[in-house]
Amino acid sequence: MFNIPKIPLGPWVKDGVDWLTNNLNGFFSAIQHAGQTIMDGLTTGLTAIPIPIMIIGITLIAVLTANKKFGFPIFAFFGLVLVANQGLWEDLMNTLTLVVMASVISLIIGVPLGILAAKSDRSRAIIQPILDFMQTMPGFVYLIPAVAFFGIGVVPGVFASIIFALPPMVRMTNLGIRQVPTDLVEAADSFGSTPWQKLIKLELPTAKNTILAGANQTIMLALSMVVTASMIGAPGLGRGVLAAVQHADVGSGFVNGLGLVILAIIIDRFTQKLSSSSRQQSSSKSPIKKWLILATAIVMIGSGVVSHLMSNQSTGKQVNLVYVEWDSEVASNNVLAEAMRQHGYKVNMTPLDNAVVWQSVASGQADASISAWLPNTHKALAQKYKNDVTNLGPNLKGVKSGLVVPDYMNVNSIADLSNQANKTITGIEPGAGIMTSTNKAMKDYSNLSDWKLTSSSSGAMAIALERAYKNHQDIVITGWSPHWLFSKYKLKYLEDPKQSMGKTENIETIVRKDLKQDKPDVYKIFNNFHWTSQDMQSVMLDVQNGKSPEQAAKNWISQHKSEVDSWFK
Amino acid sequence: MPKVEIKHLTKIFGKRIKPALELVKQRVSKNEILERTGSTVGVYDINMSINEGEIFVIMGLSGSGKSTLIRLLNRLIEPTSGTMMIDGSDIAKLNKKEMIEVRRKTMSMVFQNFGLFPHRTILENTEYGLEVQGVPVKERRERAEKALANAKLLDFKDQYPDQLSGGMQQRVGLARALTNDPEILLMDEAFSALDPLVRREMQDELLDLQASVQKTIIFISHDLNEALRIGDRIAIMKDGQLMQVGTGEEILTQPANEYVRSFVEDVDRSKVLTAENIMIPALTANIEVDGPTVALRKMMAEEVSGLVAVDRHRHLHGYLSSDSAIEARREKVPLKDVLDKMPSVSHDTVIMDLMPLIYDSPTPLAVTKNDKLIGVIIRGRVLEALADSTSDEEETIDV
Repeated sequence: MFNIPKIPLGPWVKDGVDWLTNNLNGFFSAIQHAGQTIMDGLTTGLTAIPIPIMIIGITLIAVLTANKKFGFPIFAFFGLVLVANQGLWEDLMNTLTLVVMASVISLIIGVPLGILAAKSDRSRAIIQPILDFMQTMPGFVYLIPAVAFFGIGVVPGVFASIIFALPPMVRMTNLGIRQVPTDLVEAADSFGSTPWQKLIKLELPTAKNTILAGANQTIMLALSMVVTASMIGAPGLGRGVLAAVQHADVGSGFVNGLGLVILAIIIDRFTQKLSSSSRQQSSSKSPIKKWLILATAIVMIGSGVVSHLMSNQSTGKQVNLVYVEWDSEVASNNVLAEAMRQHGYKVNMTPLDNAVVWQSVASGQADASISAWLPNTHKALAQKYKNDVTNLGPNLKGVKSGLVVPDYMNVNSIADLSNQANKTITGIEPGAGIMTSTNKAMKDYSNLSDWKLTSSSSGAMAIALERAYKNHQDIVITGWSPHWLFSKYKLKYLEDPKQSMGKTENIETIVRKDLKQDKPDVYKIFNNFHWTSQDMQSVMLDVQNGKSPEQAAKNWISQHKSEVDSWFK
Repeated sequence: MPKVEIKHLTKIFGKRIKPALELVKQRVSKNEILERTGSTVGVYDINMSINEGEIFVIMGLSGSGKSTLIRLLNRLIEPTSGTMMIDGSDIAKLNKKEMIEVRRKTMSMVFQNFGLFPHRTILENTEYGLEVQGVPVKERRERAEKALANAKLLDFKDQYPDQLSGGMQQRVGLARALTNDPEILLMDEAFSALDPLVRREMQDELLDLQASVQKTIIFISHDLNEALRIGDRIAIMKDGQLMQVGTGEEILTQPANEYVRSFVEDVDRSKVLTAENIMIPALTANIEVDGPTVALRKMMAEEVSGLVAVDRHRHLHGYLSSDSAIEARREKVPLKDVLDKMPSVSHDTVIMDLMPLIYDSPTPLAVTKNDKLIGVIIRGRVLEALADSTSDEEETIDV
C-alpha cells in the first residue's frame, strides 16, 4: 500500500514493554509483592468470617440502609445463600477482593485526575484522548503487559481492571466539578476562598453525586474485567466462567455467572444508596441506625478474627502449580494436587493460557507445570524459554496430536484434504501449541494453502465436533489424545507424511530454575510424578460423566495407592 | 479622596485584543467588532469615582457591560487595562494572594440568583466568609448569628436554602456579605430575581440598613425605578461604555445624550397617559355577600382604610370607608346603607382631564370600562405621573 514499508509498530511496543520490564523490575516486583500481600490478607479476612454471620450481617446492613423497603435485603439474603449453597463462597470473596482493590485504587487515582482535568483545559485536552484510548482498547490487550510487569495472579488482574475501569471515574469527576453553577463558584471566589478551600467546601460536595455515579460505573467495569483477568490467574468467579467456556459447560458457566450477577447487583445497590442519600435521608437517619450498622460490621470482623484464630490452619509448604484448562491437564493436575494435599502440602492451582503457563514458570512465578507437550506441540515455547526452565522429562508417554476427522469421512491423510468441511480446520485456544503446529502444517501442505484455521476453545471445539457428528457432516479438528472424545465417538487421526504435526509425543514436567534449591522435596515429587495414558483417560471419562475433577482425582488416587506413594519417595 | 476611583478601565474578551481595541477607538459598534475580530468588548474606558458611604447604581440594558464592570471591581474577571484605586491603592496590580485578602476584608458581593451553597445550612452559608479566613468557630458563629438576627432569619439558621423563599434567600445572601463587615458591598442585580412586592421590601430594607451601617454600596440594576429609589448617584452604560453619571435628578432633567433621553423616557406624560396607565388594582368589597366585619378584615389585611363597593358583576356602588364599616357593624345595618359616593372615570380618560376630579374627591377615583370596575386612581399617582418620572408599573427594560 502506497509503497510505504510496514511500520514496525508491534516491535516498537514490544521493545518498550521489554525495556520497562527489565529496567523497572525491582519496582514492579515490589508492587506485585505488596499487592499480593494486601489482597491475600483481605481475602483471608473475608473468608475467615463465618458464612452465616457474613450473610446475616450484609442483610442487616441492607435492612438498615433501605428505609422500610425489604426487596433488596431479601434479594441479598437469598442471593448470598444461593452462592454459598453452590460452593462458590470463596470465589465470591476472591472476586470481591479484586473488585474492591481495583475500585479503591481507581478512586485514588481517578478523582485527582478528574479534578486536574476540570481545573485546566489543557490537561483535559491531554487526558481526554488517553481515556478514550483506555476505554475502547479491548481489555485482553492489557493482560499482556500486566503479565510482563507483575507475572500471574491477582495483581495483574487488578492492574488490568484499573486501566479499564478508571476512565468513568475521571470523566464523571471532571463533569461534576465543571457542572458546579457559575454563581456559586463566583460566590466562593468573591469571599476570598483559596483554590483548595473552594475545592473542599464547594466543588467536591456539589459534585459528590456525580462522582459517586462515576464510582458506581467504575465498580461495574472492574467487575466485568474479573472474567478477563482470570485468564492470567486472578482467582474468583471469573475462573469458573472461563473454565466453563473452555469446556463448553453451560451449567457451571451459568452458576458462576449468576454469582457475578448477584454480587454486581448487591454492590450496585449499596453504592447507589451512597450517592442518593440526600440530606433529608441522613437527617432522618437516627444515630441508632448508624450505631447498629457499625456494630454489625464489628461483629462480622470480630467473628472473622475469632474463627481465624480458632482454625489452626495447616501451614504446609506452598506449591504453585499452573496448567491450561484442557480436559487432559485438568485430570493430571487435579490428581497430582490432590495427592500432594494428602501429603500435607498447600497447593495453589492456577489455570492460565498456555503461553502464560510457560512464561510464569520461566519467570519463577509458578513452581511447575506438568503440561508441557514436547518435543513438538509446544516447540515454539520450549525454544523461547529453554534457558529459563528446568525440564524434568516425561510424566506421560505416548501422546499423539494431529488433525482428527470422524471416521465416516473418506480422507485418510492430510495430503488428501481438498474442499471438505468448508476448507476449515476447527481449532482451540489461539495460544495452544497444537495451533502452532497446525499452522505449520498448513504451510507445509500445498493443498491446505487456501484453508482456514478457526480458533475458539477446547470446549467449543468439542461441541462443534459433536454437532457435526450428529448431523453426519464433514469436520476437521485439531485433536490430541488422551482425550475422552476418542472414547465417545469414532474418530481417526489423519496421516501426516510430512510430520508437520509431530510424531508421537510425551507430556513433560517443567519446573522453575531454582526449585531444586528452594524446595528440594517438592522438586523430587515433580521429578517422580508419572502415569499412563489409560490412567489419564479414566479420570477424564469420570469428569466427562459428571464427576467433579476433585472427586474423580480422589477416586483414582484411592484405587492407585502404591503408584501414588511412589511419587513421594 | 473618593473611596473607589476607576480610570480607563477596559476589558476585552477573546483572543485578538489589539485589533478590537483599535476598532473601539474608532467608535465601531460592539456587534461589528465581534464579527470582525471574534472578540467581545466587555467594558471600554470606564472612568468614575465613588464616594465613601454612597449607594452608587450602575444601570444599563443587558449586554451593556454592567455585570462585567462589577466583576472587574473584585477581579472575578481580570481587567485588560486600566487602574482601580481603592483608598488610593491600585488593586489591579495585586497578586493572587493579596487579592484574596482584599476580597476577604474589603469587599463582599451579593448575587442575582443569591449564590447560596445548597449543601450548607443558612448558618453555614452566612459564616462562609469568616470560615475561609480561618476565624475560630465560636466567634464566626456569633457574628453570623448576629447578621442573621438583623435580617430576622435567626429561626431559620439550621434550614437549607431550598427550604426558604426567594426574599429570605436574598436576605441570607446579604447577611453573608455583611458578616465579613466589608467596606464595600457589591450588589449584582440583587433584587431582580424577586417578585415586585418583595423587591420593594428589600429596597426599603437596604435603605434602612444603609442608614445604620454606612457602607459604600455599588449596585447594579436594569430598573430605572429601583435606581431612583435607592441610588445616591446613577451611572448609565451602553455597549460597555459610560453614557452619564449623575444624581437621579440630573439624569432625568439633563440627559447627556439621546440614548439617555430615550432611556428615561422623557415625554410629556399628561398628554399621552390615560387613566388606565396609572390606575392600581382596586380592593373591593362585594356588598351582596360581605358584611362589615369581613370588609374590616380585608382592610386590615391590605393595610388600607377603604374599599370599593361592587356587586358580583363588578358594577360600581360606591366607596366604603373604614369609619362607615365600623358604624355599620355597630348599628347592625347592611353595608349598602353606609356607602359614600365615588366619582368614576372611563379607562381612556387622559390624565389632564382627571386633575379637577381628583382634587375635589375625598375618595380615590374609580376607573371603569364597559361599566365594570377595573381599578382605582389615587392622588399620589397623578402627581408622580406628571412629575416627569416614570409610571410606577414595574418598567423593567430588558432586551
